[in-house]
Amino acid sequence: MQATLADPGAHRVRLSLLPGFACLLILSSSLAVGQGAPTLAPFWFFGLAFGVILQRSRLCFASAFRDLFLTSDGRAMRGILLGIAVATVGFALIELRGLPNPAFGGLPRGAHLMPIGLQLIGGGIAFGIGMVLAGGCISGTLYRVGEGYVASWVALGGILLGLVAATHTWNWWWLTTGASAPVVWLPSLFGYGGALLLALAVLGAAAVLTVWWELRSGPQPAFALPRVAPPPAASLREALARAYEQVARRGWPFAMGAVALGVLNILAYQFSHPLGVTGELSAWANRGAGLFGALPPELLGTGLLAGCLLVFETGTPLLGEGFFLDSGLVVGAFAAAALAGEFKLRFPSRPVRYVQSVGGGALMGYGAGIAAGCTIGAFFSAVPSLGLNGFVFGLALLAGAGLGVQAIRRIA
Amino acid sequence: MKTLDVRGEICPYPMMRAVDALKSLEDPEGLIVLTDHPPALGTIPWEAAKLGYEADIEPSGGAEWRIHLRSSERQRSPQEVLAELSQQLQTLGVGG
Repeated sequence: MQATLADPGAHRVRLSLLPGFACLLILSSSLAVGQGAPTLAPFWFFGLAFGVILQRSRLCFASAFRDLFLTSDGRAMRGILLGIAVATVGFALIELRGLPNPAFGGLPRGAHLMPIGLQLIGGGIAFGIGMVLAGGCISGTLYRVGEGYVASWVALGGILLGLVAATHTWNWWWLTTGASAPVVWLPSLFGYGGALLLALAVLGAAAVLTVWWELRSGPQPAFALPRVAPPPAASLREALARAYEQVARRGWPFAMGAVALGVLNILAYQFSHPLGVTGELSAWANRGAGLFGALPPELLGTGLLAGCLLVFETGTPLLGEGFFLDSGLVVGAFAAAALAGEFKLRFPSRPVRYVQSVGGGALMGYGAGIAAGCTIGAFFSAVPSLGLNGFVFGLALLAGAGLGVQAIRRIA
Repeated sequence: MKTLDVRGEICPYPMMRAVDALKSLEDPEGLIVLTDHPPALGTIPWEAAKLGYEADIEPSGGAEWRIHLRSSERQRSPQEVLAELSQQLQTLGVGG
């Protein structure tokens, strides 16, 4: 087996137009954000980092859930579980600092805690089906928008449509199930130590389950062979070239990307609130729908909760934290793809993919709307918030992904 | 040798279509897969290895790759093929 790409001298730093443009775009937009909106600038940089991490590690929540069913492969899922575990430790410390006694009935500021009702379970299942159909979850769609996947641009349109539909039915879900469903914040039951131990134990058990699931399907590599260390660099120039090659040109392992994303989530929560991309998209979707006269009623209950809630307020600023996070994600993914030589406009060869992308996107948008979050806000930020809702949403995603795999097996 | 062009396909179709093509493949030379989907560089060789195929990946420029899948010449256990592949993928820096 020859590793054609493995030759360290095989690809030199290419000075083509696209990487230069990407660097210029990052520099100029960062300067503009820093000058024009210094208090929002951290979210711009969180967004850039978010996009770079997702693009470089190809961290795709949709594939992590999907491949458990499609190929009995749990590698991506174990990476994500590790990232969640890292974030959980950080979140617990932030919550402890803000709310030393969890038994007094309060909930920590900004934590993604949602009522565990049918809207959470139904939304998770719809989201799970949709992300498999569209080939990426919402954050996955955003980073592929930046990589040049035209199908993801179409999926983004579907997501916005789904979010409008969710906005117009939110009150029904809230009155039917959300308002009366329990919010379970684990530290209020077990204290911080108990809740943290419990969450880490469940994450560890889930990782073990994925290994069992893989082995059940057939032979797997029991270990990765030790990596052959390259000879020490002869010059500083060579050492720097190698470091650049590793970071910017080659993909990162899933686990590394997931841990980086967990750390980023801790930073975002420490600064303001945990990561989430859906709320901002809903604000834009509803602004768009508003132009056509589709003005929703006041959204009940959203003032009581924190997280990726649907946004429809006339006074909401156009350029807020969420805008900089989401647009930073797209720009960061574009820049990372351009530097790695992976940017390309990709048009689906089969027309049915456009239909899948819109339909899957709409299911995701609707699911994320009623459940108040996507794989990021309602899962990757909710489990570390020590809310039982994060685990429930994860199980619903799993069920939805299983159904989605049945669907894509039938679509050639 | 048969060439399967999965450029433009969205996830996970590059991998699914490559696996389908391998399952019905009669040519001992193997199969060439053309892809522009970087995650497929991890998934296609991995799934092909489970079917007893080895992979060579060649970048063909412009965010496109050529994956040559051919039957493993040596008789090896699937574990060996997968362990070797996992090392190759690590060197390439693709996949997990």
